[in-house]
Order: sequence, then C-alpha cells, then structure tokens
Amino acid sequence: MAFIKLIEHSSRRGVATHPYPEKPFEVDELYRGKPVLDASACIGCGACANACPAETIKVETDYGKGVRRWTIYYGRCIFCARCQEVCPVNAIELSREFELAAKNREDLTVVAEFKLGSCAKCKGYLDVSIRHVELAQKLLERSEIANIMQELARYMVMCLKCKRSFFVEKLGEATRG
Amino acid sequence: MGGEAEARKLLEKCVERLKELLPPDAIVDVKVKGKDRVYIEVKREYLPEALEKVYWELGGYLSSMVGTDDRSVDGHYRLYYIVSIEENVRHIQWKPWVVVYTKVPWDNPKFKSTTPKVPAASWYEREVKDLLGLEPTGHPDPRRLALPDDWPEGLYPMRKDFKFYERPPRQPKPYMFRPEKVSEGIVQIPMSPIHALADEPSQFRLFVDGERVVDVDYRMFYVFRGLEKLAEERFTYNQTSFLAERVCGICGYAHSTAYCEAVEDALDIEVPERAEYIRTIMLEVERLHSHMLNLGIACHLTAFDWGFMELFRIREKIMKVAEILSGGRKTYGMNLVGGVRRDIPKDKAKKVMELLKTVREEFKKALDVITSNELFLRRCEEVGILPKKVARALSVVGPLVRGSGLPRDTRYDHPYAAYKYIRVKPAVESGCDVFSRLMVRAREVLDALDIVEHALDQLPGGPILNEEKIELVEYAKGIGYDEAPRGENVHFVVIGKDSRVHKWRVRAATYNNWPALPYMSRDYTITDFPLIVASLDPCYSCTERVIIVDVKRKKTVTVSYARLVHLSRKVSQNPTHTPQLL
Ligand code: SF4
Ligand code: SF4
Repeated sequence: MAFIKLIEHSSRRGVATHPYPEKPFEVDELYRGKPVLDASACIGCGACANACPAETIKVETDYGKGVRRWTIYYGRCIFCARCQEVCPVNAIELSREFELAAKNREDLTVVAEFKLGSCAKCKGYLDVSIRHVELAQKLLERSEIANIMQELARYMVMCLKCKRSFFVEKLGEATRG
Repeated sequence: MGGEAEARKLLEKCVERLKELLPPDAIVDVKVKGKDRVYIEVKREYLPEALEKVYWELGGYLSSMVGTDDRSVDGHYRLYYIVSIEENVRHIQWKPWVVVYTKVPWDNPKFKSTTPKVPAASWYEREVKDLLGLEPTGHPDPRRLALPDDWPEGLYPMRKDFKFYERPPRQPKPYMFRPEKVSEGIVQIPMSPIHALADEPSQFRLFVDGERVVDVDYRMFYVFRGLEKLAEERFTYNQTSFLAERVCGICGYAHSTAYCEAVEDALDIEVPERAEYIRTIMLEVERLHSHMLNLGIACHLTAFDWGFMELFRIREKIMKVAEILSGGRKTYGMNLVGGVRRDIPKDKAKKVMELLKTVREEFKKALDVITSNELFLRRCEEVGILPKKVARALSVVGPLVRGSGLPRDTRYDHPYAAYKYIRVKPAVESGCDVFSRLMVRAREVLDALDIVEHALDQLPGGPILNEEKIELVEYAKGIGYDEAPRGENVHFVVIGKDSRVHKWRVRAATYNNWPALPYMSRDYTITDFPLIVASLDPCYSCTERVIIVDVKRKKTVTVSYARLVHLSRKVSQNPTHTPQLL
C-alpha cells in the first residue's frame, strides 16, 4: 500500500529545481542584498559605521589628504540593513544583488572620499566633510533658531582646536564681567 | 490578566516552602522581580542543598547556570542557577523562575558541586571551572568541557582581566576518554574530528561490544567561539542582537529574540504588541524550516530519500516566506531591543498566507506517505529510548523531552512574545523513542502553520518598536527565553557600562540535550547511532570521517561519510542484518 501511495505521489511531481545560473533567480522586492552607497548623497558622517555590527563600514578622517574616507568591505557584511536604517540622508541602501563572489579582496572593497571642510579661523581642516557642514547649515536655517543663525554659523565651521580656544576666550570675557 | 495574581501567589509559596526546607541561616536575601521571577541568595556552603530542594522538592528544571565575574564591583564571583518550576503547576500560566545564587570570594574560588544531587548541573559546573576558574569540589567528572586541551592551565578566558584579543601559547595535552570503559572485548570507535550529523567538529567515542554500543563518550566545544566575550568587550547592546542571531545557523532568530528579551527584562522595556506578534510569526517560521529539515534528514538516514527530497522541496517555500517577511532567507535580522525593525504590510501577509496553505497540504500528504512506510517506521520505533526519568533528571528540552512524555514547552510554561495571547498546547508523545520525537516535530509543524496564520490574521496595529530613550541601569539582571525548534533557549544578561553588557550567557537548547546521548545510545547498534544523534537534532555537516579502532588487534580503519551513511541505510533494507564494519 505504502509504495503505491509513494509512486502515486512521485509521478505527479514535476521538476522542482530552478535552472540557476542559466536563468536568473528572482528574489523578493525587499530582499536584503549588497549595500550600495550613493556617493553623491553621502556626507561622510559615519553614522552607518557606528551602527554596523560587523565593522563592514569604516569612516576615518585623513588630515594629510584632507578627506573623510568611507570604506566598505563586503566580505564582512551580514546584510542586516542597520546602515540603511540609520543614515540621515538615505545615501546607503541594500540592493537585491546577492552574487558577490570575487577573485580577490580588493574587488570587495569600495572607497569614497569626501573633502574636509576648512576652519573659518585657522583655515586648517575641520574633522567633518564640506557636505556635512552644508547640511548642518541648511538644517539650522530651517529650524526655530534660524534668527540667531548668523551668530551660530561662525562657530559652526571652526575646527575643534579653534572652537576650544574661542570658548575659553568667551568664558574669560564673561567671568571678567 | 487574572493569571498574574495567581503567578505571584505561587511565587510566594515557593519562597515560603524553600525557607521551610532549608536551615534558617541558609537564605541571605530574597528579591522578587515582576510577576514570575525571584532571585534568592544563599550562603555558599548551602548551595547544593538549596538547589536540590528547588529542583526536586519544588519541581524545577535547571534552565541555565551562569557564573559572573563581579570582582570589579564587590570582589566576588557569582553563580546563578536558573530554575524553572514546572512540576505540579502545569496549569499556571506564568510558572515561576527561581534563581538561586551565591557569592564566591575572589581569593577562594571554590564551591561545593551540586552535580551529585542535581545531575543536570554537570556541564554547567565544568564550564564555569574552565572559563572562570571556579572549582566545583566533589564534581564526579572534572575533565575539561569548554576549553581546548592545549589551552594553558590557570588561564580563564571569561574573567574580566582576560582580553578578547589575547592568544595564549598552546600547551598540547591529550584528552582522556573514560578509561574505565576499556576492557577485554570492548572496541572503541572514535568518530572525529567532524561528526557527520553535527555541524560542529566533535569527537565521539563509541565503546562497542560486537555491534552493540556499550557506552558513548564525547568531546565537544571545538567551535567554542567566545561570542559572549566578544559582546561583552566590543559590541554595544543593540549590535549584540545581531551577534546573537549568529549563535546558531538554524535557530538564530530564537537566540536573538531571547537576547532582546533578556535586555528588555533587565531594563523593564515594554515591547509593543505588534512587535510581539511579529516576533512570534518569525519564530514559528523558523520552527517550520528547522523541523522540516530534521524530518527530512531522518528520512535520508534511513535510505528513504523520497521523504528527504519532498520535505526539502516543501521547506523551500518556508525559506521564501522568510525572505518575503524579513528580506533574508535564514538570518532574519529583525530584532532590536524594544521591538522589531521591519513591519509586515497587508500584501506581504496575503502572499505568505497563500504559500502556507500549499505548504500545509503538501506537508500533510508527505507525512502520510512517510509514516506509512514500514521500513522507515522499523528504523525509528523503539530505537534511542530516553526514559522519562532520565529526561527529568537531566532537564532535557524540546522535542526530546516532549517525545519522552513530559509536557515541557516554554511557549506554554512561560509565555513570552505573543504566546500570551495565542496559547500553545505542548505536543507530547509517550514512546520515548526516535519515532516519538519525529512525531512531536511533525505535529509542531502543523501547529506552527496554525500559529503563523492566526497571528498574521490577528496582527494588531500600532508601532513595532519602542523608541523611548533607553536608560541603562548598571548591573540590572534579566532573563530571556524562548522555545527554539530544538527546545528552550535561555539567555542571561547583566547590563554593564558604556552601552555594553557586563555578562551575557547563552544557553542553547542542545546544551541540555547532549548529556542524554549516552543514555539513548546504549544497547543499540552502531548503525542506529547516526539516527539517534539526528533525533536530538543537532545540525549537519558532510565531512565525516570515522576511524574504527580495534583495541585488541590494534587495527585502524577509516570510514568515509558516504560509507557511514551507506551502512546506516543498509540496515533499513534488512533490519535483521547488521553490516560488517571491520
Ligand atoms: S550614515 Fe549615510 S551619510 Fe553618513 S557616512 Fe553613512 S552612508 Fe554616508
Ligand atoms: S548591512 Fe549591516 S553589516 Fe552590512 S554594511 Fe550595513 S550595517 Fe554593516
């Protein structure tokens, strides 16, 4: 009896396998595949690097070259989409691409560089990119404190060192009366 | 909910009863947390008595044991024995968690072993000895458990003064399998370094007399990765949920859920109802794919490859369901502390429902064919018997315990996520054999389909993530648990500084189940062994080599994986015949 059942069943089954890779394999529209950076939108803020559990993304400041360097090494990626979730400008998005095999490591690395802004006082490099500063300015202009923007804008584009000495000066003035 | 008052009353009763049973000065402190958990501090010298009473008198099962290094806080180590009280209170919705803990001073890191009284504690105490250097005096089997044999003596990796990047020099030393078993006429068969059926490298030593297995010894933890150490030193608490998902390649989501629940418990974070439902849906989807995999493998090992192929074909649809719901086929990456990250829109839910309908029909048909195959039944029935008593003594979990007639199911005993609203009845079988365990899984597949459909249908509205700012309370403790496909997973978390966890202890289901293996394998044949191991449902690897040693003739034979499977299957074609191995 059992085998009759079995044969009955098996005879009804067609081909179950998909002819991959001859035919491409369709994944769901919200599949989490390779994260792709839109370098024209990225501001190099590093939020993605902070959130990434696998240290796939690194963002560092290169004062020698005057750039903020964004690097992704796909070999480490776990396709969790944390980067996509935290990016303030939606510059990184997980694509549906899943065929990531490569012959060497370099092919799995993508680098983007963003020019550092310069300090309004000493003209040295800031530790954030120009775009980052521009975005912050734009956001502030639109915010409730836009009226004191003129004042604020001056401090905003200072490097850390100048900011520090500036505030010490101000503090000194204030305490002296 | 009415159940809560009942749970509180029971909790109080447990504490009262324990006070009666122990000498008056044994209990130092009692702290009740929430409706169903209590932390009881006992003096170090009373630890074995206290655990014995909680385990055998209050009817508890040992769910986990954790050793923490709190020397930086107050100069002590702490040992937490986490016990779930279940016997005689099956009807209560929230059964008590009783955590018995004790302090061990830094300058005298010893404690009396509880293993002679509570056998379930054996592995835990060996592990604490390896990783924290806390010596369980009087432990019947003080060999190494977790550390490799070439790890230097006196160096304890889970202590806080050991950094995760340290690589100590190796000091090779052979591991001793139980020598008392070596005697005239007994042949030892080492199965190593990779077991055919576990995805971890492990060494089994079968002691056989002819074809009959006399005993089994094992050496595992070759892939002890120190994930907990990594989380404690490098990950923030929100990143750890993704690390937790990588504890296991099959039931990872259950781990990440248990981890998040532990943090939520520690910090009293509320999870929105919708998120609870989504977690439940994903947990059941994971159960579906895992159980189908196990049932398929059981067919494969008994040379019934039609069953294997058919179940894997159906399972592929579950993988698709996971992909639709989470964006990933296996690693769902859905959890964050406080909820989930991805919502389930209506159209997706509809698509999933349609897939599940076909899965249900096809699975029922496949199951019908499989269970009417007599050869398959004869391989599984009355093989690998795990008596109820042994199951009770070792606190085994999951389909293994339910197959031995005990109705333990975390979803029912300690409802978490949406199991508060969707009550699950444990699927229990009383045969205690491989077949019973397979049937438990088969029934749970059908239950899981019901649950997913119901949850998708009843999905409440509202947010999916609690986005209030999380206040980290240092040294807050929390327990997280869930019923993974293989059984109860328990995570214990102590919150630390700088958004990190001070202690994270993962207890996977199989941890409680492995020690039962020798009991299940005795008196069966070598060819039954792979099937018995499979019924425990560890993961699979295909790089097995088995070395057979005849101690009398000093002869060694290496058997390939293919040959082992071949041997395992040959029996199925003729159950009276056992193939010649040597
Ligand atoms: S978070 Fe977005 S903007 Fe910031 S560095 Fe990453 S990709 Fe660029
Ligand atoms: S998907 Fe996850 S692992 Fe990959 S880069 Fe983004 S955050 Fe990192």
